[in-house]
Amino acid sequence: MNPALLSVEHLQVDAGGARGAAPKPILRGVTFAVQPGETVGVLGASGSGKTSLALALLGLLPPALTARGRVLFEGHELLTASRGARRALRGRRLSIVFQEPLTALNPRMRVGAQVAEMARAHGERDARRAMRGAVDMLGRVGLPEADVRAWRYPHELSGGERQRVLLAMALLLDPALLIADEPTSALDVTVQAQVLELLHALQRERGMALLLVSHDLGVIATSCARTVVLHDGLVVEDVPTRQLLTAPEHPQAQALVDAVRPAVRSA
Amino acid sequence: MAANTWHRLRDDRGARIAAGVLATAAIAATFAPWIAPYDPTLQPDPVGLRLVSPSWQHPFGTDPFSRDVLSRILHGARVSLGVAAGAMLLSVTLGAALGALAAVVGGWVDGVVSGLVDVLIAMPRLLVVIALVATFGTLSPWWLVALIGGSGWLTTARIVRAEFRDHLQREYVLAARALGASRWRIVWHHLLPAVAPQLAVAAALALAAVIPLEAALSFVGLGVQPPLPSWGNILLDGTDYLTTAWWLVVFPVAAVSLTVGSALVMADRLRVAIAGEERDL
Amino acid sequence: MTRRLVARLLHAAAVCAVVATSVFLLLHFAPGDPFATALDGADVPPSVRAEWRARYGFDQPPGERFVRWAGALARGELGYSASRHRAVADVVADAMPRTVLLVGVALLLGFAAGVGIALVQTRHHRRWQDRFLGALTLGGVAVPEFLVALLAMTWLGARWRLFPVAGIGGLGDAGAWPLWERIIDLLWHLALPAGVLALAVASRVARHQRVALLGVMREDYIRTARAKGLGEWDVIVRHALPNAIGPVIALLGLALPSLVGGAVLIERIFGWPGMGLTLFDALLARDYPLILAAVLLATVLAVVARTVTDAVAEYVAPRRARET
Repeated sequence: MNPALLSVEHLQVDAGGARGAAPKPILRGVTFAVQPGETVGVLGASGSGKTSLALALLGLLPPALTARGRVLFEGHELLTASRGARRALRGRRLSIVFQEPLTALNPRMRVGAQVAEMARAHGERDARRAMRGAVDMLGRVGLPEADVRAWRYPHELSGGERQRVLLAMALLLDPALLIADEPTSALDVTVQAQVLELLHALQRERGMALLLVSHDLGVIATSCARTVVLHDGLVVEDVPTRQLLTAPEHPQAQALVDAVRPAVRSA
Repeated sequence: MAANTWHRLRDDRGARIAAGVLATAAIAATFAPWIAPYDPTLQPDPVGLRLVSPSWQHPFGTDPFSRDVLSRILHGARVSLGVAAGAMLLSVTLGAALGALAAVVGGWVDGVVSGLVDVLIAMPRLLVVIALVATFGTLSPWWLVALIGGSGWLTTARIVRAEFRDHLQREYVLAARALGASRWRIVWHHLLPAVAPQLAVAAALALAAVIPLEAALSFVGLGVQPPLPSWGNILLDGTDYLTTAWWLVVFPVAAVSLTVGSALVMADRLRVAIAGEERDL
Repeated sequence: MTRRLVARLLHAAAVCAVVATSVFLLLHFAPGDPFATALDGADVPPSVRAEWRARYGFDQPPGERFVRWAGALARGELGYSASRHRAVADVVADAMPRTVLLVGVALLLGFAAGVGIALVQTRHHRRWQDRFLGALTLGGVAVPEFLVALLAMTWLGARWRLFPVAGIGGLGDAGAWPLWERIIDLLWHLALPAGVLALAVASRVARHQRVALLGVMREDYIRTARAKGLGEWDVIVRHALPNAIGPVIALLGLALPSLVGGAVLIERIFGWPGMGLTLFDALLARDYPLILAAVLLATVLAVVARTVTDAVAEYVAPRRARET
């Protein structure tokens, strides 16, 4: 059997413990794996710990949160890795797209430069070449008139365009795994569909693994072959998405499926 | 609300230390005549006791006029802190009154007050006070309080005006007015208590600004006149001997710095306590 | 943006007008009418006396006097200095550039140092570097500038003889030395006064900048920057700093009046012959026209400097305003 691209074993994340207060558990022993090229959805209601999961994988948890357990990515142990090792992986092998595109972009930097910075963070010395690569990538994620838009500031673009910028940034160096944390929840419904389609197309085109975190099963169902259901800090189901839709076992999973059943049925 | 602020402040270590320093200074100042080992103006031995370095008999040494420096510092605290406290109270009260007036009355009164603040705030306060002192001659400490205090109402006025205007929009004020409460009642019973914490911050900052101002004026001979001691003029008296008699510099500087630093820390901790959240600063 | 610039210039002009009017009122209505008295002093040549009397219209009613005085002021005539035997305008023309040099150098050095300190504190937030530098900057704002100046002069200057304690050096002997040596000498004399003032600026800037930086570090785009694999210094300098620096420049502008006040005292302590020292010498000599001209011009300097920093802050931070 091929070794998994990402293997999460008993991941625990706790909050607090400051000033004598008891630490609050957010993730209580999450275990699942992602194979190369696989599309996996992480489904959970708000408060289930799914964003913390995404951040823990990248080592981007806020200082108040601590992670324990084992996370193996391409053979590297992420939780105990050195800062330098983690930094080298971020963006190059393992990327993330965040939920709110407006706040996730630096308001004072042109979007093209922010995308190009990804290359420059990983060794590209030639500024012009980095910029050309960025413009090219922006075109490939479907940003209209990319060579013009690249010189704009985030507030001059629409929500959907900003999300494309974040995608371009995340995919510039062709990572093996892309984590998408609620990539569409801040967008209009019509734009949501476009972005999801784009995500799907890019994933297929590059053979990249996708870990899509969402509270919306409809979103996950369109892009993910397998779904991990997270409830109260634990994995309660880990099955092919099709199976989840037709025969959910855990009552929480049932509730989430019911919430979207009519829409999904018709898809 | 104010009770929560008070509790947070009470638990704050920085605030406790700062308050302790200020309280010590205030006590020393108030009880100086009883605590000071010597009379600050007494010159028992004009020749033999000149510029004695710190010793058991004179813990802070003596100055060029053979007066005990510790006693002068203690009595100087009385004057310096007295003038500072007086000026601070005057400027905060004046500022609060004008700011409240501008916010509550509005209209052209607001225009005048705001315009005045905008223009006057660009003038260096030290220079204004120097100009006034120069024109009207050297002053008794009471006049100093009036001049220094009278020149410092600007920032407090701005703060109070902004806070009042903010609160005036709120529902509880509209409700009170609907119930027929007079403007005066609203100001006195609702608005002033609401801005009290901010006023405390303004007071601490005002104190931190006024202490060096008086010290500077006294140091250049325009403030408290000798032989009445002030922290500033202790330095002035020792100007020619500063390189050899380090005690003439260190103790007044320490006195000023500790009180100003404590006032600043107090203002900062007050701000944090008011904000409420556990700021990681 | 031009509209705001014009508004600022008008505001600056308004302040100058208010100050000038206040100066006039003090000059002419203070007990004993010091301006007139100064002119009646023994060491004023009669021709000068007659000329200035006529120009300022001392026999005219106050309204007329004000108009004449304002007109004279607009023409740059500030009266006659009995203590220096020259026109006040000449005295001021010599002294002003030196104060501008002192304040300008101190502002630039202090601002750069303050931002640097804040950056280090942010990088090592909550660790010993942060606490240590925090204590230093607290000391920097707690000890008044003139006292730091006094300490510096006493120890660094007089005791250890590292720097000169007074004056501006041999700059006055124009042509006596080669230019290069004169510049070095000037800088050597400038070091302590500007250094002390820069310390005051740096402490204030560092404290404000640290708060601003820590606030910005909580924003989402900082997380994005880290997710790109950027090193922590790159994140702070390239992403946090540009967003955090604007408000600090504006705050510096607000602190300028008190810094000019501090500069005035520092000049006196170090004998730096700028507007501050001129003011104090004039005070001693009871040279009222000079006293008030010094106060007026030092205030104008503060206003101009503040307008400049406001404009710079506006330039650095406008895009924020355009966001919804």
